[in-house]
Amino acid sequence: MREYKIVVLGSGGVGKSALTVQFVQGIFVEKYDPTIEDSYRKQVEVDGQQCMLEILDTAGTEQFTAMRDLYMKNGQGFVLVYSITAQSTFNDLQDLREQILRVKDKVDVPMVLVGNKCDLEAERVVGKQQGANLANHFDCVFMETSAKAKISVNEVFYDLVRQINKKSPKEEKNKKKPRLCRML
Amino acid sequence: MLVRGCGGGELRHSLAERTKALAAKCHALRSPAREQRSVERRRPRNRKSQTRWYVKQPTWRLWGEEKVDGAVYTVYLKKVRYHRPTRSASSESDDEISHLEWETVRVRFVKAGTVERLVEALATDDGELESTYVNVFLATYRSFAECGKVLDLLLRRYQALASEDVLPATVDTSQQHRKTLVACLHVWLDTYPEDFRQPPHHPALQQLLAFTQLHLPGSELHSKVLQKLAVFSAERNGCVGGAGVCLAPGMRVLQHHTSAYRLPHVPHRHFAEQLTRMDMELFKKLVPHQCLGAVWSRRDKDRSHDAATVLATVNQFNAVSFRVISTVLVEPNLRPIERTDILAAWLDIARELRVLKNFSSLKAIISGLQSNPVYRLRKTWAILSKEKAELFEELARIFSEDNNRWAQRELLMREGTAKFADTVGENDRQLQKLLHERGSPGVSHGTIPYLGTFLTDLTMIDTAIPDTVFDGLINFDKKRKEFEVLAQIKLLQGAANAYHLPCDPLFDRWFDSVIILDDREAYQLSCQIEPPTNPPKERRPKNINNNSQGHRKNDSIASTSSSNSSQFYCETDGAGNAWKRDSLERRISPTRLSHGSSSSSLPSLDVSLSSANSGQKTANGKAPATSPAHPNKTGPDFYIIRVTYESDCVETEGVVLYKSIMLSNNERTPQVIRNAMLKLNLDGDPDSYTLSQVLPEKEMVLPSNANVYYAVNTAYNLNFILRPRKPQTEAIVNGKAKNKRT
Repeated sequence: MREYKIVVLGSGGVGKSALTVQFVQGIFVEKYDPTIEDSYRKQVEVDGQQCMLEILDTAGTEQFTAMRDLYMKNGQGFVLVYSITAQSTFNDLQDLREQILRVKDKVDVPMVLVGNKCDLEAERVVGKQQGANLANHFDCVFMETSAKAKISVNEVFYDLVRQINKKSPKEEKNKKKPRLCRML
Repeated sequence: MLVRGCGGGELRHSLAERTKALAAKCHALRSPAREQRSVERRRPRNRKSQTRWYVKQPTWRLWGEEKVDGAVYTVYLKKVRYHRPTRSASSESDDEISHLEWETVRVRFVKAGTVERLVEALATDDGELESTYVNVFLATYRSFAECGKVLDLLLRRYQALASEDVLPATVDTSQQHRKTLVACLHVWLDTYPEDFRQPPHHPALQQLLAFTQLHLPGSELHSKVLQKLAVFSAERNGCVGGAGVCLAPGMRVLQHHTSAYRLPHVPHRHFAEQLTRMDMELFKKLVPHQCLGAVWSRRDKDRSHDAATVLATVNQFNAVSFRVISTVLVEPNLRPIERTDILAAWLDIARELRVLKNFSSLKAIISGLQSNPVYRLRKTWAILSKEKAELFEELARIFSEDNNRWAQRELLMREGTAKFADTVGENDRQLQKLLHERGSPGVSHGTIPYLGTFLTDLTMIDTAIPDTVFDGLINFDKKRKEFEVLAQIKLLQGAANAYHLPCDPLFDRWFDSVIILDDREAYQLSCQIEPPTNPPKERRPKNINNNSQGHRKNDSIASTSSSNSSQFYCETDGAGNAWKRDSLERRISPTRLSHGSSSSSLPSLDVSLSSANSGQKTANGKAPATSPAHPNKTGPDFYIIRVTYESDCVETEGVVLYKSIMLSNNERTPQVIRNAMLKLNLDGDPDSYTLSQVLPEKEMVLPSNANVYYAVNTAYNLNFILRPRKPQTEAIVNGKAKNKRT
């Protein structure tokens, strides 16, 4: 089964962790344990193919700025999350994207722009069109989601899997090498 | 009930023991779920033995839930084995052991409840102290109630018990209850004195004082409250001013002396110890409950002080990483082997940190080395010795993100409270060698964890588990879960006391003097040291930045496209436009200017940084005056200059302290002076200072409004002196500068 390393990035408080938990756990479980090996792993079927997704969520460590490069080096696909209720979280993404492109040394990296908390329409400050424009500028897919109301959460990750598949249809041999893992 | 079942965990136990026991309990509780899940997922990994903080796993069986008004309990049946306490050496007095082998007891845990019910549960039904519960409660209550509210409830409960007409049969229980409440207050005051600080009037403490005066005059609690009050008011009144005055001049004097350390020739062990000392001070000050998801991950600007101790730790981590990045990159003229030596020095320091079990700075160094601007320097890494390269891989492996950071979790479990480092993987050749060489050290070390893992775990717990259940009851199971993590942090804080590290002010000065580069600056420097290998195809048609790829043609394209994108932003909305314009200005202007500079043939400006590209041999930081113009290379967008402060009153003992600052090509004299003042900790008006470059024959004083980037003489070292301005020198100054500038 092919493995996909997906990194969730965005400022603190945008609901990254909620997206991840919602996707990996599906429902809010009582006995949730964030410390076990497969807390962030999920097997899904995308377009008839079984895939193992490993989500790297940076929640709680946004301010360890020196570590971002590492996350980025390892990730194959990226979820860039902002909250539609906070303009600053939207503005922060430009720098994050630039950093990804620098680290990856590529023009084109599988990526989805996500405006989260779309259930809070009353508190919205970032318009949907603004998000779409930024995605257009980034040349990537855009979605508005709500982890809380379970809107479009799975779609984000499925779309990334498709993007990764399109970019590198077959698993490259060297992806399997332990070397990559070792370098984090 | 629980207390009895577990063999009498009482107040006498040290905090460490209590948390250990708790971690064991919590772990035991969740074990079935864990196993189940692991089976479900059929993880192929063949996991080795799990070392945890408990020895014996009791058998728990879920019996059910019990609902009462305002609370829900989870009830477990627990099989308790009675076994002889293991005596380390002799086992002479075995008389007290009962004949009972085991029995099943019913154990009730509060699952959820109202604040009132949760406070009541601090004592069990028999009035006994539930020490585990008390610890969980006190560590986590701030997320559901204020200090004053909890205190109020506690005291009211005491008063209710005291005034109750109790039947003679229950007098004992009632008394026990009250005793337990007093014990809780003791634990609270001892463990979380900060809760009672509440300046300026300490209302909670005053309330407690009134209570003890009325109900418990002359008691231990009474005197403890009085003592705390005295401490707080003493802090407020006298000591603060004194300490401040003592410190400030001392700090000032330090600024004027040079740092004796210069990478790569530094004592590795000593550096590791000093980093550990800095980390230890912050880690011991860390307030664990500030790490809770409800506090740390939900903080905003107004409440940032709520997590101040966490932030301080994070800042130190970043500071260490930044120092790695900057020391590797900041001297563009180093020969590759010299730069490699700096990498090697950091790896040696990192290795010592591993021995010291300081996983925070260890990870910070590894992160710095793995940061893109450093990691991409292939030529520099290529000549690193095989041993060092292996060491790097082995140390990096500790922090692998794979399998939810399994490697570092496991290592922390094994060594967290161990006396010294003794865990290596089968493939860790260098670390095996290291630990073998060292043997077991005479002194034991504490442990400093990388806090980020805990912060992520607590954030995820906070997200995944609801705050309230059953129509608004506080979900206390969530608090237990959170306390599992907090207990680990506390345990490690206790262990950190094992460090005994002297303070070296020289090290602090060195640490303070290192320049910090931001992302972009670091990347630009890195590209000047080793230009990107793959030539830009038709790169990034839409991308705004990335103008520093070192290829002249790109610049004009980049700035054209970026003005397009700024239009793009104008269309969207005002707010977005504002931030965009700001960041565009930052990025475009150097590009435009440097483009201009390379086309207007100022070859001498190209040398300082871009000379590194040509791999020339000048290692002394002095750029050759007659560098051949590289028509294909852009000039550097900035220089790094060294600024010394000189004033009349300070003698520098023949040594010079300098601070490095970035000088970008659109900065004028006042701005540069301002930057230098910031670095040198000087206050005041930039206009009252002058800045001059030190040249072999004389000094060149910069005119008051020069573009410093173009004014400096790059034929020589970029060393500068900052001086308080003397009025009479003004005229000469300008004259000199004008002459020099052409």
